[in-house]
Amino acid sequence: MTGLSFVFSLVGFGVLAPVIGCLLAGIDRKLTARLQGRVGPPLLQPWYDVRKLIVKQSAQVNSYQAFYVCMSLVLAVLAGAFFFAGGNFLLVVFVLTLSTLFFIIAAYSTRSPYAELGAEREIAQVMSYEPMVILISIAFYFALRTFDTGVVFSLDRPLILSLPLVFVGLLFILTIKLRKSPFDLSYSHHAHQELVKGITTEMSGRTLAMVEVMHWYESILFLGWVGLFLVWGSWFALIPAIIGISAVYFLEVFIDNNFARVKWQSMLKWSWVVTLVCCSLNIVLLYWLG
Amino acid sequence: MGMVNLAFLIVFPVVAAGVLLLVRNNRARSVVVIVSAAAIMIASAWLAVGHLFSETWYPPFEGEWVTILTLVIDVLCCAYIIVKGIRHKKPLAVALAAVQTVIIVAFELLIAHGMTIENNLYVDGLSVIMTLIIGVIGGGICIYALGYMHDFQVHEDDNDKPDRRPVFFALMFVFLSAMFAIVFSNNLTWLLCAWEVTTVCSFALIGYTRTPEAIDNSFRQIVMNLIGGLAFALALVYLGYSGILELDKLIAQGALGGLVIPLALLAVAAFTKAAQVPFQSWLLGAMVAPTPTSALLHSSTMVKAGVFLLIKLAPCFGWSYNGIMVVLVGGFTFLFCSFLAVSQSNAKRVLAYSTVANLGLIVACAGVGTPEAVWAAIFLLIFHAAAKSLLFLCVGTAEHHIGSRDIEDMDNLFVRMPILARLMALGMLCMFIAPFGMLISKWATIVSLVNTDNILLLFILAFGSAATFMFWAKWLGKVLAIAQQDPDVEKTVHPSEWFSLALMAALVLLLSVGFPFLSEFVVVPYLAHFAADILPGTTVWWGSISATIDFDNLIIMAVIVLALIAAFAVQFTRPKKPTASVYLAGVALDAEKRTYRNSLNGETQTTQRNWYLDGWLGEKTLEPIANIISILLIAVGLACSLLVTGGVL
Repeated sequence: MTGLSFVFSLVGFGVLAPVIGCLLAGIDRKLTARLQGRVGPPLLQPWYDVRKLIVKQSAQVNSYQAFYVCMSLVLAVLAGAFFFAGGNFLLVVFVLTLSTLFFIIAAYSTRSPYAELGAEREIAQVMSYEPMVILISIAFYFALRTFDTGVVFSLDRPLILSLPLVFVGLLFILTIKLRKSPFDLSYSHHAHQELVKGITTEMSGRTLAMVEVMHWYESILFLGWVGLFLVWGSWFALIPAIIGISAVYFLEVFIDNNFARVKWQSMLKWSWVVTLVCCSLNIVLLYWLG
Repeated sequence: MGMVNLAFLIVFPVVAAGVLLLVRNNRARSVVVIVSAAAIMIASAWLAVGHLFSETWYPPFEGEWVTILTLVIDVLCCAYIIVKGIRHKKPLAVALAAVQTVIIVAFELLIAHGMTIENNLYVDGLSVIMTLIIGVIGGGICIYALGYMHDFQVHEDDNDKPDRRPVFFALMFVFLSAMFAIVFSNNLTWLLCAWEVTTVCSFALIGYTRTPEAIDNSFRQIVMNLIGGLAFALALVYLGYSGILELDKLIAQGALGGLVIPLALLAVAAFTKAAQVPFQSWLLGAMVAPTPTSALLHSSTMVKAGVFLLIKLAPCFGWSYNGIMVVLVGGFTFLFCSFLAVSQSNAKRVLAYSTVANLGLIVACAGVGTPEAVWAAIFLLIFHAAAKSLLFLCVGTAEHHIGSRDIEDMDNLFVRMPILARLMALGMLCMFIAPFGMLISKWATIVSLVNTDNILLLFILAFGSAATFMFWAKWLGKVLAIAQQDPDVEKTVHPSEWFSLALMAALVLLLSVGFPFLSEFVVVPYLAHFAADILPGTTVWWGSISATIDFDNLIIMAVIVLALIAAFAVQFTRPKKPTASVYLAGVALDAEKRTYRNSLNGETQTTQRNWYLDGWLGEKTLEPIANIISILLIAVGLACSLLVTGGVL
């Protein structure tokens, strides 16, 4: 990752990610509506929602929550910029964890019973997916002998061929990361399974708008992780990558609509089991393949 | 000049301790402690100026009489334990101390006597780093103890307990002296003597309050550390027969694959000192002591002596039976203690488990043994010392002002003790999250593990880190919660406490920002000097020496630290005006106090406890498993070292 590629990535990701993320969120709502037999809102509804949130009168429980959320957003953008600049995968993971921590602190700072419960659940989510995320980077290193994500564009064949089970593990925790049911414990966009509004209970107006935008950024970053497994050193690779990413996103929306939220115990147990099984078998496979 | 400085660091704290024993006036004691601590800090810094960047220096010092003195000190230490053990009816401690005395005396008179020692003392980059940790952080803790022990004694006076502060402060300073001796001694008999002095000092410090619980815990500490001391003494006997009584020669021989048995025994000795499972319970028990003791023992001294020895011996480990034992004991300690920390709501116990877990990580790195892993281990050691002492001191002060060390009672600390809560948050951030030091060191650990194909350890690290995130994040959340306008209770915190808290916080921030430079100019050169000066030329496996994490990435982290400092500085100075109250499902009575009208038309206050996952991760569930695994590992490791030496394996 050079300084120049970082600047390009920062500007590119900073501008394009929310646009694409917003469109994806719109598609998500359309798809969800169709799956439920409704027509659904316009494609740009997520943008209309955020625009409305921005102009609302500010109502803050304390003066720190908005600050923490803002920090969280900035760090999420930074993590994405590091990733798309081809930077160190562990660096991306750690900056993203810091971003999540600020989001959790934002909720805790309100000392609202509902927000605090949401924060607690968000911590459980982090605990569920963090081992997999670290092991993805480790498996990446075992396969390619580097942590720099940029090298995938110089491969002969996509990473998914050597890390198929790790990819499955990624899909599993992606459901948590994208806040999709059955693992949308800390907050959900389905009104029917929500305890008030989880971790965002006390967030309103611009603060909530920042949370929504952050979700768009994060969605693109995580789909980028999926893409990491699908590309190789050829322009032709972009076609299967885009098809693959779209398929994964559709799969996530499909899962979202077909499962009810589980308890955190099940989430933690199953993520850890899947992580252990997928990563250990895949690393054995790597050694077997030489 | 260097020799004088060295002698000052070892002798002066003992002199100060002697003076402190005699001084009973509070003001006079404050003056002595502050002046002595300042002198030690300056001397440490002075040593750093001379030797932080340079190659290993062997001070020319014959010191036959010192060897005799160490024997006398050894015997006195054991006699003290025996007397105490008889008085409190602890036969095991008496037996262990007696056996150890016999071994040491026999060793000195029969084997060591007449052996020529080339270099009794040494100073290299790592011993200077340790000197700075002991001098600056240890000295800071001594100053902190002035205010803390004042409040502590007020409470003791209420219960008609005698004022034993002269003993307390004397012990703290003797401790510092012994630690300096550990990091400068090349002569292993001197090292063992200093090692035993730290054991006995911490025994006395843990039992300071003389409650039945404190006495029981102090004996648990002494029994476990005497087992370690015994292992150390046995290693010394073996080494004496092999004609080696110097640390550098031991490392050189060990790196070639020799001396398997003494290295295994020294590893066990280090496990006891560094409170690795199954010896962790002494450290947990030590939490009954006044908080400055906990801070001194568990951040900058005692436990650091154990990991210091292992880091020194690291080139002797790697992919050998000993190395695998050290890696696995450290790794499992990290995993289990991180899980156990999740289940604790007592802040000091969380800190204790986190300490053991992080020491486990350092031990594992030392076991991996590559320069990359040692790089990670040294940074883990530095940042753990700074951040953990800050946290212990914060908890101690909080306890005296809110009357509890339970995390659940730290709700709203952000309002009740505004400055302290921010410092505590800083300490916690430094312990577990990027861009601060511990996390970067953990990152380096991952790099060194992938490069040595330590797959099991990588899994342990991945799952243990998830638990680490949980127990820190939920505590951090409690501390940063903002609710009703409770009165500010931190106005009565002593200036000495503020001074030390500020010192530790400044260290944490400076070290985090200076990480890349510390790596480039101190730790990497140290590794190069160490390899060139001590390792024999044939140990090519130590390979090329460079920073484990690229300078660019370290700079990125340092810049993020600076940006965070700037952001928080701006935020803390902004006016604070809440414009809404929290949502309580429409029936709130007093939103500030989180009360609402219940179904019987009464008033209920909402309370929210953190999750502790006690059923899954409680001590009852995990502790026996952890102990059994670790005991088996150590037993197999020792057996293997015997079999290897016997030529069976």
